Order: sequence, then C-alpha cells, then structure tokens
Amino acid sequence: MMWKLRLRRLLFKKRVEGTALQQCWQAPLPATGADWRQVSFLVVDAEMSSLDVNEGELLSVGWVVVERGAIVLESARHHLVRAENSVGQSAAIHSLRDCELTDAEPGEQVLQYFLEAATGRVLVFHNAALDMAFLNRVSRQAFNAPVLLPVVDTLLQEEALLRRREQVIKPGDLRLHACRERYGLPPYQGHNALLDALATAELLLALACHRSRGKHFLLGQLL
Amino acid sequence: MSEQSDASTATGIQEPAVPQLAVPELVPVAEFLEQSLPFNQLGKAELYAVVDKIRVQYHCRGELFNRETPEKGLRIVRSGAVEIRDSDNKLLDRLGEGESFHIGGLNAEQGEVQATVIEDALLYLLPDEAYQGLRERDRNFDRYFTSQRSRRLRRAARYQPEPNTMMQEVRTVMSTDLLTVKPTDTVQHAAQVMAARRVSSAFVVEEGRLAGIMTDRDLRVRFVALALPPATPVGDIMTPNPETIDASQSIFATTLLMTRRGYHHLPVMLDGELKGIVTTSDLILAKQDDPVYLVQHISRQHDVEGIKGLVAGMPNLMVQWVNAGMRAEQVSQILTAISDAVTVRLIQIAEQRLGPAPVSWCWVGFGSQARAEQLLGADQDNGIIIDNGVQPEHLPWFQSLAEMVCDGLNACGYVYCPGEIMAKTEEWRQTLSAWQQKVRRWVTTPTPDAAMRVSIFFDLRSIHGTSSLCQQLQQTMLETSSSNSIFLAALAANALDTRPPLGIFRRFVLDRDGEQRDVLDLKKRGVLPITEMVRLRALANRISAVNTHERLRALAQGKHMTIVDSRNLVDALHFIQHQRIKHQCGQIVRGEKVTNHINPKDLPKMAKEQLRDAFTIIDDAQSAVRQTFRAGMG
Repeated sequence: MMWKLRLRRLLFKKRVEGTALQQCWQAPLPATGADWRQVSFLVVDAEMSSLDVNEGELLSVGWVVVERGAIVLESARHHLVRAENSVGQSAAIHSLRDCELTDAEPGEQVLQYFLEAATGRVLVFHNAALDMAFLNRVSRQAFNAPVLLPVVDTLLQEEALLRRREQVIKPGDLRLHACRERYGLPPYQGHNALLDALATAELLLALACHRSRGKHFLLGQLL
Repeated sequence: MSEQSDASTATGIQEPAVPQLAVPELVPVAEFLEQSLPFNQLGKAELYAVVDKIRVQYHCRGELFNRETPEKGLRIVRSGAVEIRDSDNKLLDRLGEGESFHIGGLNAEQGEVQATVIEDALLYLLPDEAYQGLRERDRNFDRYFTSQRSRRLRRAARYQPEPNTMMQEVRTVMSTDLLTVKPTDTVQHAAQVMAARRVSSAFVVEEGRLAGIMTDRDLRVRFVALALPPATPVGDIMTPNPETIDASQSIFATTLLMTRRGYHHLPVMLDGELKGIVTTSDLILAKQDDPVYLVQHISRQHDVEGIKGLVAGMPNLMVQWVNAGMRAEQVSQILTAISDAVTVRLIQIAEQRLGPAPVSWCWVGFGSQARAEQLLGADQDNGIIIDNGVQPEHLPWFQSLAEMVCDGLNACGYVYCPGEIMAKTEEWRQTLSAWQQKVRRWVTTPTPDAAMRVSIFFDLRSIHGTSSLCQQLQQTMLETSSSNSIFLAALAANALDTRPPLGIFRRFVLDRDGEQRDVLDLKKRGVLPITEMVRLRALANRISAVNTHERLRALAQGKHMTIVDSRNLVDALHFIQHQRIKHQCGQIVRGEKVTNHINPKDLPKMAKEQLRDAFTIIDDAQSAVRQTFRAGMG
C-alpha cells in the first residue's frame, strides 16, 4: 500500500514542486505495522451537489483528528466551499443555501487547509471513493496532481467484515447509520460534513476496538 | 469566553455577547451535555468553553477503569453502560446515557473502586484540567461532584427551606434567660427574685439536676392559698420532676403537648441538660396559620358532620403547608395527628352516647397511622384491645362503639379498610389474651401469604384508652417474633417481593395504571419496601419504636445497622414521600383525584436522578435483607 503510494507520487514529483501538496507529501508515511492507536488519522467527510463527479461540485468539507485511539474535538473543522454554479436541487438535502456558499472560501483555499491538517496522517472516509474523487478533482485543478495520501474506508472495512462472516449484505446495510447501529453507537443527525465526519470517526473507533480486543490491531489491516 | 464579555461591558455594549462554539457545527455535542447532569447547570459560555476539550473514546464490553487508568478526567457516557463496583465487588452504581464518573475521584473517596464497561460504550472524556477548571469556576457544578450520590440525595432530603414556623424547632422560641433557685431557698426569696426578673417561673436545681419547677400557679395554689409561712422551702411547693421536651421537637409538637396537658410552662432539654423554657405566650407569638388549630377545633366538635366539615379543608391546608416548605415527614406527622384527633373525638362522642366503658380497653391504630406516616387518602386500619376481665354482656358496648367510630371515620374520608382490618370487624376487637394468642399463632406457623397479611398488625400504636394494653401486646410481638427466624424469613420474603422499579442501566420500569398510562406507584414501589424492611429489622432486634425514622435511628444506635445505611434509608424514604406529597398537591390544585402514581418523565431532571438514587438505595437495602434473613432460602 505505502510503496504503491510512493511510486505514484514519483510520477507527480515534478509537477507539485513548491506547492502545498509537496509540503504535505514530505511528512513520513506511517508504518503499516504500527498499532492503530499509534497512528494519527484525519477523518473526513465532504458534501457535494451531485454524486457524479462530472456534474457536481464540492460544497463543504469537515474533518476531525483521531489520535491515540480518541477523537480530538479540538481539531474539528468545517469549511464551506464557494459555489461555482448554483447548488440546485440538492440544497434541500444538504440544507446549504446559495448565499451561504458564496460567503464560503474557494476550493483551493479549503484544499490547502485540508492538506495542512492531513500532513502525516491517514485519511478516513465512509465510502472514500466518492469524497476522494471530488477532493482529487480540486487537487488536480490546483496542483495538477491527485492528493495521494493513505486512505482507510470504513465502508469497505465493514463490507469485508460482513463478507467474512458470510452474511448476506442487503441494500442499506453499509450506510453509515446502519454500520453505527451494529456497534451500538447512538443515532446522530447527519447532513453536515463535520457531524458526518465525527460519526465516521466514532465508527472507526468502534470497529478498531472490536477488532483489536486487547491485542494489537495494525494500520495495515485497515488499509 | 468570560474575558470577551468583560471587554464588551467595558466598552459599554449593552447586549452580552451570545456564547459561540469555536466550531458551531459541534452544537449537537454541546446539546447532549446540556441535558446531562450537572452540565445542565452550567451557563452556555462555561459549557461551550469546554466542548472542544473533549476526547471521544469507544470501549468494548469488559474494559476496565481503575486508579491505573492513564487518562484522568470525567467520563460521560454518551451511549452504552458502565458499572461501578467497590473492592468487595459490591455494585455501587450503574451508569447509562448522560451519566458520568471520575474514576480518580471515586478512588480518592471510597478506596479501590473499579468501573467496568457492561455494554459497548461511547464515552466523552473531559480531561482533568478542564474538569477541575469547571469545578473551580462553578459552585453548583462542583457541589455535584463533592461526594457520592447518597450524599447528593441527603442534601435533597435535608436542605429544604423551613419557613413554616410551626415546624421550627422549639429551641427557636424558648427563652434561655433561666432563673434557677435551690430547693432549700425560701419561697419568699424565690418570689422576690421572680418579681425582680419579671418572670412567671423558676427552675429548682439540685446538684446540677432539674428537680422541679415553681410557677406563679404553684405560688397561688400551694403557698398563698394554704397561708404557709414565708420561710417555707421552695422544695415543698414546687412541681417535682416536671415533664420536659427535647429542644429538637417542633413548636407544633410542643404546643400539642402543652394544650393537651394544660401546661403553661415547659422546660426544654438538650442532651439531658436544661437549656430553656417555653411558655404558652412564646407559642402564641409563634403561631401562624397552623395545624394545631385544626386539631383543637376537631376536639370541640359535637357530631360527625362538624368533624367532616373541618377535615374537608385538609387537602387545601396541605397544599399551603407544602408550598410553605414543610417537609414530607412533618406533613405526614401532622396528617396523622389530625386523624388521631378525629378518632379520639369520635370515640368521645360515642362514649357520651353509650356511657362509660364497662372495663378498661384501648383503641389501637395499625399501619401508617401507627407509624405516624399517613398521607391524604389513607384508609382506616384499627382495632380494639379489651381487658381480659371483660364479661360477655359487656361486648355489645364495644361493638356499638366500634361501629360508630368506624362509620364516623368513613364519613370523614378515612374510608373502610378493604381488608376489613377495623375495630368494627369482630376478629379485630378482642381481649388482650386473644390478641396475644393470635400473634403467637401467626409467628409460629408462618406462611408467606400470612406474613403479608399480618405484617400490618406489627405496626401498632395506642390512640385512645389504656395504653398499657397496647404496650403488652407489642411486647408479645417483639418477644415472639425476634426469636423466630422462620417468621422473620417469611416477613423478609414479603419485604423483598416488590423490587425497585429500576431496570438494567437504571432506567425506570413503569407499570400501567387503570387508564393504561405508564406510571410509577411511589407508595407500592418506594414507601412500602422501605417500611417493610425497617419493620423486619426492628422486630428482629426487639426495637419497640414504630415510626420508620425512629426505628432506623434505634437500629443505628443499637449498631444493628450502620449509621450510613440507616441515614440513606431515611433520606430515600423522605425523598420519595416528598415527591408523593408534591404530586398530590398538584392533583389537589388541578382538582384531580389524589393518587400515588407519577410518571418519571414529568419530573425535573434533578428529581429524576434523585429518585433513581433513592431506588438504588432501596435495592441495596433489599440485598442486605436477603443476605441476613433469607440466606440459603433463595
């Protein structure tokens, strides 16, 4: 996993010179043999105007740090991304209004904050592919290169777990709410990037706790 | 946060700054804390300042916290459940959502305490620095944590305002400027000193001991009227060994005693030492809208209708007393005093009609009347003990009297006992020896069912007549039951029959009432288990007190129970009774039927917690009873 990342970063080495992305890459990558409690994670969630990366745009990003096995609320951040187009239909879903988004900061600026927070950390998403697609798009626009950081996907982790237990996976079983419920985590009000990130972070703690059970649980097992 | 608001006042801005979270999207976290004790008592600014200090952790079932746990701080249960046990593995507490524990603090307070996750738990850890900071800045927040929950409950039970003057301790109105004379002093000398001091009584003290009291009346009746010589010693005319009252008694109790006995002066003692004196005029000064007058008026009525009219005003009076801050035990003492007065007056009216009793006898009250723990809506439980010398031809007198009194009580709102435990029923109108036989039979051949039915008889008090009959019967009860472990075990089974309504994770378990609403029966689930356990322990240890509080005090004094356990039960009882009374007052004000059914949802958060604490204490006490009286019986 880490060697693949290093290899791909090599391809973009020249392009990112002198950028915030290069700075971010300079931090050493965490060892896959480290216990999850020794690893620093940045749990992220993004809201977008469409699930299709070609149509939609990034509306907001929220994140929170997990360190020494605990969520650090002090690190919680929420950034609105300035709209390039009108929000349209999904406004109802995300309860973000156009006027709010015009007050927001440009995508590149938010990406810069994000890269600062992500330096030396492992990213965590629930369904990483979608959020990463949008973040990579902003990154490509800004630096001509994708983000290329280690990523944990709690959704894939849960899917693998259910498959190992040979359970039939029904539609909806892998949604954040359903996953949390299996660990006895409390219901939460979603649809704000930071609260979703927080909810994902709690899920990360729960699944890591259950899988470690007094023994070591290594970062490599999560990737 | 506070610095900001200081700055804004300094620059003359009117509106205080609205507290803001550093990250407004975290409001749900703040909202959760706002609904948890004791964070609900913090101001928004204080609360918001600590939200982002929190670290969120997840713990699987079985994980432990103890003094070795590296991260120190307050842990608030966001979801899941945690159990706290002491070094003997005794369950101290079970915490659910919104409840919190500080393992370091618990260890400092009670020694080796360990917390175990019993249901996968998400915990908010407020690190020590932020937690201690809050405690330093906010007194209420700090007070919540200064001690364990039993002390929290004690505060609730004890620290209620006491503006009702009739319930103040008598020491607040007694005069401490005491005039003392020796029994060998001459009457003339004593009268001169009394005149100089403008007092109407003097204490006669001999070797530091109160030997008697000499009042204006003694001077009149035993000295002037008999034309004794001025040199007569005080000792000859004083009232020797006068009745006294304890300084902690209420003005109400003092007034009642003095009016009943016709005293005008009453010495007040504290720890066996003479401390002061109360006079009737002291009491008149203290009088306000008080229950004594209700009792006095009742004793002046000549028929049932008159009594009924007075008693009808009782619910509204109770609302007034409770609003004025009267405590639960005092309310029930007064309500019992009133039902005693009604009973006595009805007996006197009956005696006027039937003529004097043919032999000596005693009217006894059972159950809550005997314990002086009556509330509104109590039914009547009573009986008659007749002297063994009674002849068959005397019996109709007792029957007529019992019918008149029981019917009168029923008319006044003390409805007939559904189980027919009334003097009106022949079975409960017996000679002393018949009663004693009955008691011996109950005790020697107990069945759980019988234990339940007869336990009420073991709380008894003489209401009118020859009280020695009642005392002899009580003596028999104590002698036979204290030595019979099988009977005690049957009583214990009965006392353990009703479990406190707390499910796992200390959630309230509710019953359905007649109208299919979820309710908690405070009498059945709270008061009865306590009184039954305390009665059992009193019988087992030959304690003759009947009032639950007095029994507990005697149990602690006799070292049959620890002081802490005894106090905890007193507090739990008083707290539950207080909630019951408050609930009933609300019903009276709304014009509803008075019940004992509450829904915990309707209680304020703090009261709900305290109610939980009270039930936890009952649960602990039941475990102890199970160990002591039912060991090996399952």
